[in-house]
Amino acid sequence: MKSSRKQFIKSGLLSGLGTIALSSLPLSGFSQAFSFFDPLDIENPLRGYPNRGWEKTYRDMWAYDDEFTFLCAPNDTHNCLLKAMVKNGAVVRIAPSYGFGKATDAQGNQTSARWEPRCCQKGLALARRFYGDRRAKYPLIREGYLKWINAGMPRDIKTGAIAQEYMQRGKEAFVKITWEDTFKYTALVLDNIARTYNGKEGQDKLHAQGYDPLMVEATHGHGVEVLKFRGGMAPLGVTRIFGINRLANSLALLDNAINNKGPEGSKGARTWDSYAWHTDLPPGHPMVTGQQTVDFDLFCTEHSKHIIVWGMNWITTKMPDAHWLTEARMKGAKVTVIACEYSATANKGDNVLVVRPGVTPALALGFAHVIIRDKKYDADFMKKFTDLPFLVRMDSQKMLKPTDVILNYQKPDLKNYIEILKKGEKAKKSPEQGAPFVDEEMAKEWGDFMVWDETKNALSVITRDDYGKYMREKGLNPALEGRFKVKTIDGKEVEVRTVFDLMKEYVMENFDPKTIEELTWAPVKGIEAIADEIATNSGNTLFAMGMGPNQFFNNDLKDRAVFFLASITGNVGKIGGNVGSYAGNYRGALFSGIPGYIAEDPFNLELDETKPSKVKKYMHYESAHYFNNGDRILRMGNKNMTGETHMPTPTKSIMVSNGNSLLANSKGHYDNVVNVYPKIEFISVLEWWWTGSCEYSDIVYPVDSWAEFKYPDMTMSVTNPFLYVFPRTPLKRIFDTKGDIEVIAGIASAFGNLTGDSRFRDMFKFVFENKVEVYLQRILNTSQGTRGYKFNELEAEAKKGIPALMMTRTTPKFVGMEQSNEDKQWYTKSGRLEFYRDEPEFIEAGENMVVFREPIDSTFYEPNVIVGKKHPCIMPDEPQKYGVDINDLATDTRQARNVVKPWSEVKNTKHPLHLKDKDYKFIFHTPKFRHGAHTTPVDTDIVAVWFGPFGDMHRRDKRIPFVTELYVDINPLDARELGVEDGDYVWIDADPSDRPFRGLAGRKNGPEYELARLKARARFYPGTQRGVTRMWHNAYGATYGSVAGAKENANGLAKNNKTGYQALFRNGSHQSCTRAWLKPTLLTDSLVRKNNFGQGIGKGFEIDVHGATGNPREAFVKISLAEKGGIGGSGLWEGTENGTRPTYENDDFKKFLKGNFVKK
Amino acid sequence: MAKVKNWQLNREMEYPYEEKKPKKQITYVFDTNKCIACQTCTVACKTTWAAGKGEETIFFNNVETKPYGGYPQKWDVNTLKELNEQEWGKGGVYKGKTIFESESGERVTGWRPEERSYAFPNIGEDEVLGNMEKGAFFNGIHDIWMFYLARICNHCSYPGCLAACPRKAIYKREEDGIVLIDQSRCRGYKECVKACPYKKTFFNMVTRVSEKCIGCYPLIEQGEQPRCVTSCIGKIRLQGFMEDAKEPRRDSPFDMIVRIKKIALPLYPQFGTQPNVYYVPPVHVPKDFLIQMFGPNVEDAITLYRNMKDDKELLAAFMLFGNTPRIIHSYKAEENHAVGYNEIGDEIVRVPYVEPVHNRPHWDAQFQTFRHNTP
Repeated sequence: MKSSRKQFIKSGLLSGLGTIALSSLPLSGFSQAFSFFDPLDIENPLRGYPNRGWEKTYRDMWAYDDEFTFLCAPNDTHNCLLKAMVKNGAVVRIAPSYGFGKATDAQGNQTSARWEPRCCQKGLALARRFYGDRRAKYPLIREGYLKWINAGMPRDIKTGAIAQEYMQRGKEAFVKITWEDTFKYTALVLDNIARTYNGKEGQDKLHAQGYDPLMVEATHGHGVEVLKFRGGMAPLGVTRIFGINRLANSLALLDNAINNKGPEGSKGARTWDSYAWHTDLPPGHPMVTGQQTVDFDLFCTEHSKHIIVWGMNWITTKMPDAHWLTEARMKGAKVTVIACEYSATANKGDNVLVVRPGVTPALALGFAHVIIRDKKYDADFMKKFTDLPFLVRMDSQKMLKPTDVILNYQKPDLKNYIEILKKGEKAKKSPEQGAPFVDEEMAKEWGDFMVWDETKNALSVITRDDYGKYMREKGLNPALEGRFKVKTIDGKEVEVRTVFDLMKEYVMENFDPKTIEELTWAPVKGIEAIADEIATNSGNTLFAMGMGPNQFFNNDLKDRAVFFLASITGNVGKIGGNVGSYAGNYRGALFSGIPGYIAEDPFNLELDETKPSKVKKYMHYESAHYFNNGDRILRMGNKNMTGETHMPTPTKSIMVSNGNSLLANSKGHYDNVVNVYPKIEFISVLEWWWTGSCEYSDIVYPVDSWAEFKYPDMTMSVTNPFLYVFPRTPLKRIFDTKGDIEVIAGIASAFGNLTGDSRFRDMFKFVFENKVEVYLQRILNTSQGTRGYKFNELEAEAKKGIPALMMTRTTPKFVGMEQSNEDKQWYTKSGRLEFYRDEPEFIEAGENMVVFREPIDSTFYEPNVIVGKKHPCIMPDEPQKYGVDINDLATDTRQARNVVKPWSEVKNTKHPLHLKDKDYKFIFHTPKFRHGAHTTPVDTDIVAVWFGPFGDMHRRDKRIPFVTELYVDINPLDARELGVEDGDYVWIDADPSDRPFRGLAGRKNGPEYELARLKARARFYPGTQRGVTRMWHNAYGATYGSVAGAKENANGLAKNNKTGYQALFRNGSHQSCTRAWLKPTLLTDSLVRKNNFGQGIGKGFEIDVHGATGNPREAFVKISLAEKGGIGGSGLWEGTENGTRPTYENDDFKKFLKGNFVKK
Repeated sequence: MAKVKNWQLNREMEYPYEEKKPKKQITYVFDTNKCIACQTCTVACKTTWAAGKGEETIFFNNVETKPYGGYPQKWDVNTLKELNEQEWGKGGVYKGKTIFESESGERVTGWRPEERSYAFPNIGEDEVLGNMEKGAFFNGIHDIWMFYLARICNHCSYPGCLAACPRKAIYKREEDGIVLIDQSRCRGYKECVKACPYKKTFFNMVTRVSEKCIGCYPLIEQGEQPRCVTSCIGKIRLQGFMEDAKEPRRDSPFDMIVRIKKIALPLYPQFGTQPNVYYVPPVHVPKDFLIQMFGPNVEDAITLYRNMKDDKELLAAFMLFGNTPRIIHSYKAEENHAVGYNEIGDEIVRVPYVEPVHNRPHWDAQFQTFRHNTP
């Protein structure tokens, strides 16, 4: 009766299972074994049962041989230590570790068992992925690419370009190669590309290929600068994923091999962003607070009285922390949910406000209107912690400076919680950084500010030092409101007004509740009630801002408006009253010592494991959005709008680890496939699952799954207080994979062989010696939140399922703690929360003030128009200034189009697509959902089948691409108008000028359009408003191979037969209707902000702090019937037959809905 | 037919077998206000007990959205329809018929799902009753609404499946009240599938016998709560035991929640099976639908839930949900903590009502580093 282990594993693999089941026991062993029993008569089965021996079956099923812990860490911010149960050497099932309540720190603090359990459905189904058929199983190279290498890497003599016959990405099969060849080829082609585009000749080739001259210039003639690297969500693996950055930095050695310029003259490769790339960065946070993001551990709800969940689907995207929200509510806190639909989280709300998508800045200002009108604002907080009392010159729209009005003004030295670095003085090491620091020159540039002192009824200087209680101690009582005349030193009389006065005018003139109701669709009653709840709970209201509002073009304005609302009610930096932005896991700086690892000086390596590394940054960071934008920067008419500090280079090579978002789940993905990838000469990915990114790669490096780690690693979270170790596991590797860090080390080693420079290999010495903990311990020692921990002790605890606490100032961590409770300044010029931006880029954009712009595409009105009546400080540069027609509303032009109109005019405008074609009338947005973490686990069958209403294990309708499929949610009344029934397939088309790809005209019959045009089922979804449609973000899109598979496969699966890739669409994806958008105010050289890591303050571009984001919620579409939903493309979808679908209810179901089966 | 006492109906009812209470009855409380429909319970169960051939569409545990969801489709609507006029009288006495009181003479009133009833297991996910046309504000009770209903076998005191099985292959364990289908004796007549009003017995097309939730008895026997409970990240579930023959104990979280405060209510008590999974009704849903689903005490339960912050004894019981895999038998509401004990009175879990705040010095002299919240 014993089935052999080998046979079991084999059958498990074939059926995609990792689990023992009743039916896997041989038939002879089960029912037949018991069939000889005599007939029984059981008198009363409630009373007992005679033959209970069979119960052993389930006990045996539960029994397992062994268990171990691994860390599940997709990019969902949670990170769960999970327990794997092992039987016959295979992981059969997974459970939460129940170790979170035992987490401690080095000082003896401990969590409680309320943290248990931490896991989710996706994690518990992972056994089916570890052994799944779509694992990346062995190193692979694309057929055509191998041909190109074997042909000697031929190129066009003039342009350097590679012939397209070698570049048929996504259409070819892959060839299995050895690991040794994989590394060798990688080094060979990267060296080849760097040499091709090196020097003046290299730049000439790039010019000949048509790249923007400013981008070509940005290479400075170093060929290595066209090589792009990206550790996807690198903080999720401080050594193995950030190892990609370390490799990029070490390519200074390659540059040295090519140009022989030594340690001083060499350059590293370019490294791409993550948090900003994912549109997770709330770009207005650095504008207001001078640092990356304000947020709080989600269990701050324990201390709050009013929690606003705004554009955030908390219970679906923060699943293991949902209980903190529902428990706070159970214990008496009010929960307000604001969304553009009746969201999943709405069912946990005491107040629910449903609004038009993309209007968050206006809504926030609308709440502020009520609070200002009712004089319920917190004047003390505003005076002490914000720039709202500062004076602005009406003649220049610049801040009034002491030097404007005081002759020979001598700026006093700043002393209060800031360190000024003299020229040439080096910054302290991270653990010694007690206060922010800035170089002398920049501090001088900031200058001081002016207020109107109400006590003295006179102008007064206010410096950065005069913050919080220090301002009060100085006896200053600045006026919040008022217009004053001042004499400048050049004798002019100038009108000045306070920032609050200017904001108040804008808010009171434009955003009264009735107008806000018209503009946002939020009923007046709700606006008044929620504003009142916020004011009543001043200091006790948490603003949990989600990804929704952040994915519109007005995202920075959203942040600035929400901070304005929070600031006037004292809700910043309090444990129960704060602003938090919840999108992505990002704060690598919790490991503030990471620069010592990623930017270790490759010319001067520290090989003594007990000593800290020496740092020299050779790599150059840039935003991936320019690549995403067709490898183009932002220009408007005659003007370049891209700051010098942001300037990208042409992209000729991409290597990415741990991320499907860059290559297969990007905004405007199909434009990249059609127009961008063909110009890129090397694409490679490190993956453990065959993603869409693998489909478009030249080399795929298969890596260990989380359950197979042989090299430990570490990570953290921005939503919970834990420090996590990925422990080494005892599970044998299932396929021919390597650890991510081993792959990187292998590539470096191959560079060593190619160049003869042994320092390449030394870069990863401790990887080759299997002592990666040396790097990990160095990071712990040099990071403020982890200094005091021993890596080996942390790993031992992790193996028991227990994480550690990150030792930030407080647990829970919440940004603003020091600023609002200890009178320590923010990281801005003024040290305060800043609402007025007088840098030229902002004044030109009309965004020196916090204004509302309509969404750039997801609107029924004129896109991106600034809504407002005439205001003395909203006078932007209009299109004519750049030589552009004011009526030019082309998508590219819209990005820098500054036109101001009052709501009374805007409401009579129409989206330009609608003017041309009335069928364009739907907003199409793509939020995230509970059944996937991005694209991770979404295609595990037993998880996928729960994804929405169309999941069907038996796939009776062969058009279903998998056991589930993605769908568009549409209001039933809208669908009926289109002649679309529930479950019909529809086409969804966005602006044809650039989507699904540029150059559509003339290619409508080509394979590109078949690939890229989005087709999906429509679901009748009464929770979405009319005119607003939704498709979830978490899905694998169609590729050339999956489109072919869906047609060729007898079972209809949209599966690539050459690679095994499985799509959840037959055609297109949720990214068919999105595109890259660049916003000028995010591309400045002037914004002052803290650096990503540590306490230093700088200005202009900073990776994942100030730079381009994206706007994947921006799509205005038309929807039309493609195929009927019934089997064979005729009749209704099967699901409607029962009379239980919205608008298809039969009489019984109607009776049920009303509760009428019970008599009243 | 015997006469048995059904306390959920406040009356006697007919049942094919004499009343016999198990020594203790497995009992669950599910708080719908905390359920997030993540399906972690579903997957925990599936990967443990039902991942084999023939089980592709079998989910002992599922979470559905009400009112549009149902797995299998229309499981409740069809039973409600079979029962016809249902009415609750004064004092919570049920005046309608149960599934055991059929006028047609059938042993148990029921209906048998089709194979395709199990397709689309999450049909209706997140779908609301009402049409969200343009903008809305709800406060308290929502005009447009949905909620999540997590479902397992109710391990009923008077199981429909047990009553209907012609081979008497379904029994209730005397030590814990768990209801099982003897996999060796079942011949796949599917009478249980037809009779269970919750549709929580399933016919396996490969083994040709029926199967169901086993209450994770291999874990229960070791003092551990079931997989669907210990993996519930919404912390909506608590499993333990009740002994309804005895006077309610104030130190039993189940007696406190179900029998003393009556804040958690049975699912469709009118079916008559005396189910042992008790639900805290969703506080935002209009009452008519909830009364149909959870009986006449819905409004009182919602009022209690909304005021729970002022009732520490009750709050403490709720604070114990989802903190330990061990089975809690008794509990205590201390000043700052809720404490749970096992069968022999050993403390097995202690949690604060408010998770503590830890402050660390700006300069940590012990480890020679500054600490920041903005590193």
